[in-house]
Amino acid sequence: MKKPALPRQNGSAQKKSLSSLLAVVLFLVFFILALCANIIAPHDPWERFDPYLPPSVEHWLGTNDLGHDILSELIYGSRVSLLVGLGAAVLATAIGLCVGLFAGYYKGVTDEILMGITDVFLMIPRIPLIILLAAFLKPSFWIIALVIGFLWWTSTARVVRSKSLQVSEMNFVLSSKCLGFSDKHIIFTDIFPNIIQIVIPKFMLTVAAAMITEASLSFLGLGDPSMKSWGMMINFAFTKGGLINALWWWFIPPGLCIMFFVYSVVLLGYSLEEKEQAVLGIS
Amino acid sequence: MKKIARYLLALFIIISINFFIPRLMPGDPITNLMGEDYIVSQESIDALKAELGLDKPLLVQYVTYWGDVIRLDLGHSFHFHTEVSQIIASKLFWTTALVGLSILFGTLFGAILGALSGWGKNDPKNKTLTTFFLWIYCTPPFFLSLVVLYVFAFKIGIFPLRGFYETGTFTDIAKHFFLPVLVLSLSLASRNYMIMRGSIIQEKGKLYILYARAKGLLNRGILFRHAFKNASLPLITLVALDIGFIISGALFVEIVFSMNGMGTLIFDALLARDYPVLQGIFLIITIMVVVANFLADIVYGIIDPRVREQR
Repeated sequence: MKKPALPRQNGSAQKKSLSSLLAVVLFLVFFILALCANIIAPHDPWERFDPYLPPSVEHWLGTNDLGHDILSELIYGSRVSLLVGLGAAVLATAIGLCVGLFAGYYKGVTDEILMGITDVFLMIPRIPLIILLAAFLKPSFWIIALVIGFLWWTSTARVVRSKSLQVSEMNFVLSSKCLGFSDKHIIFTDIFPNIIQIVIPKFMLTVAAAMITEASLSFLGLGDPSMKSWGMMINFAFTKGGLINALWWWFIPPGLCIMFFVYSVVLLGYSLEEKEQAVLGIS
Repeated sequence: MKKIARYLLALFIIISINFFIPRLMPGDPITNLMGEDYIVSQESIDALKAELGLDKPLLVQYVTYWGDVIRLDLGHSFHFHTEVSQIIASKLFWTTALVGLSILFGTLFGAILGALSGWGKNDPKNKTLTTFFLWIYCTPPFFLSLVVLYVFAFKIGIFPLRGFYETGTFTDIAKHFFLPVLVLSLSLASRNYMIMRGSIIQEKGKLYILYARAKGLLNRGILFRHAFKNASLPLITLVALDIGFIISGALFVEIVFSMNGMGTLIFDALLARDYPVLQGIFLIITIMVVVANFLADIVYGIIDPRVREQR
C-alpha cells in the first residue's frame, strides 16, 4: 500500500538544483545585457537603416518600420525591465515589510488599522488604476516603478505579518522585552532576521509582477518614450502592421525576452525558498 | 457585519481616490476632466467650469461627485459623443461574458489538474505539466494572445483574425470567442494550478487522509471527496482577489483580438486621452471586484462550516 508520501522526493532535489542553475544563468545573461547594453548591442537603437528588413547577417533580427535595428532595441530593452522590476520591488517590499512587521509586533488596534488598509489596497484593481494614472502623468519609467511599488506591497505585508505574529511570541523576543530593549530594536534586530527568508522569495515574485506590468503598460503605449522597452516594441509591431504583415521577428523576440526574464526571476525566487509547500504556492 | 462594513469602506475610499485623481494631477483640471479631445474657447471654459462646479469649494464638488456616482452618472465623453455610463454599459456584457467563461474554465481545469498533479507522484508527466503552467504564468496575457492569434488565425487560418459585431449568429460568436477564452483560461488556470497543487500536497500528509485510506476508500475517492474540498478553500479567496487581475487580463486579450469590449474601449480612450471614460472604467471595475470579493465570502461560508458557525 502507498504511504502518504512526504512532499519532497529524492529526485526532485536534483531537478530543483538543475532548474535553479538554469534560472541563475538566465538571470545573469539578462543582467549583463542590461549592464553592458552599449558594448554588446551591434548598433545604436535609434540609428536608422532601411525599414522592414528581414533578418540577415547585418541585422540578425531585421529592422522595424523606422529602420531601427531590432536586436539592438531588444538588448537595450532589458534595462527598462530590470530597472522597473527592481525599483518597484524594492519599494513594494520595503512598504510591505514595515506594515507587516508593525502589524505583527504591536497587534491589537495597530494590527486592525494596518490590515484594514492592506485589505483596501488589495481590492483596488491595480492595472486599471495604473492605466488611469499613467494616462494623466505621461510617465517616465521612474514614475511607473514608483506607482507599481506603491500598489504591489499587500501580499508581502500579509505574509510578513503572519510570520512576525509567530516570531514575536517566541522566547528570545520575550527575553529581549524583559531586558528592556526598545520596540524598534526588537523589531529590527530580533524579528526582522527571522523573516528575511520568506521576504526574499516574495521580493523576486514582486520583481516578476512589476516586469509583466511594465510590459503591459508599454504595450498600451503608456511607456517611457525616451527608453524603448520590450512592451513598447510589441506595441509598435502591433499598431504599425507587424502582426498583419507576419513580421514575426518584430514582435516575437521581445515577448520571448519578457517570458525568459520573468521565468528566471520566478524560478530564482522558488529556489531560494526552503519549504516545498511554499515553493509551489504562487500568490 | 464587520466584513460588510469593511467592503463599504474599501468602496468609499477607492471611489474617493477616483475623485481626487483628476484634480491633483498636473495639468489643467478642465482638460483632466473633459479629455484632450475637447478644445474650447475661453468663454465656454468658464461656462464649463461653472457647469462642472470647478469654481466651487472642493467639499461641494466632492458631495456633488458622490451624488453623480450614486446615480451612475459618470460624465460625458466628448470623444465618443455620448454619456460614459452608456458606452460602458454597451461594452460591459461582452467583457463580463469573456471573464465569466474564462473563470469557469480556468478555475475548473486549473484546480482539477493541480489536484491530480499534487496528489500523484512527481513523475515526468506531472513535471511537464508544472513546467508548462509555470511558463504560462510567466507570460503576459497580451503576448500569449499575440502568439495564439498569429499561429491559429494568421498561419493556420482556422479562426477569424478580428473581432465580431453583436449581430452575429451563435456559431459565429463562438468562433470569435474560442481563442480569447482559451488564452484567458490558460493564464488563469496556471495560477490556480500552482495554488491547488501546493494546497493538495499540504493536505496529503494530514491524518484524515490516512484515516480515509484505512477505511479502504479508493485513491481518487479520497482526493475528490475529502482532500479536494479542504484544499479548494484557499482557491476561492484567491479567485476573488484575482478578479481584478482577470479583468485586466481580459482587457489586454480584447485589445489583441480586437473584440468589442472594455479593453478596446480603454485602448481608444487612451489614444484620445479621454479621461472620463478611463475613470468610468476604473470605477466600474472597482465595483465588480468588491462585489466579487463579497460573493466569495458568502460562498466560503457555505463551503466551510467552521466559518459559517462563527457568524
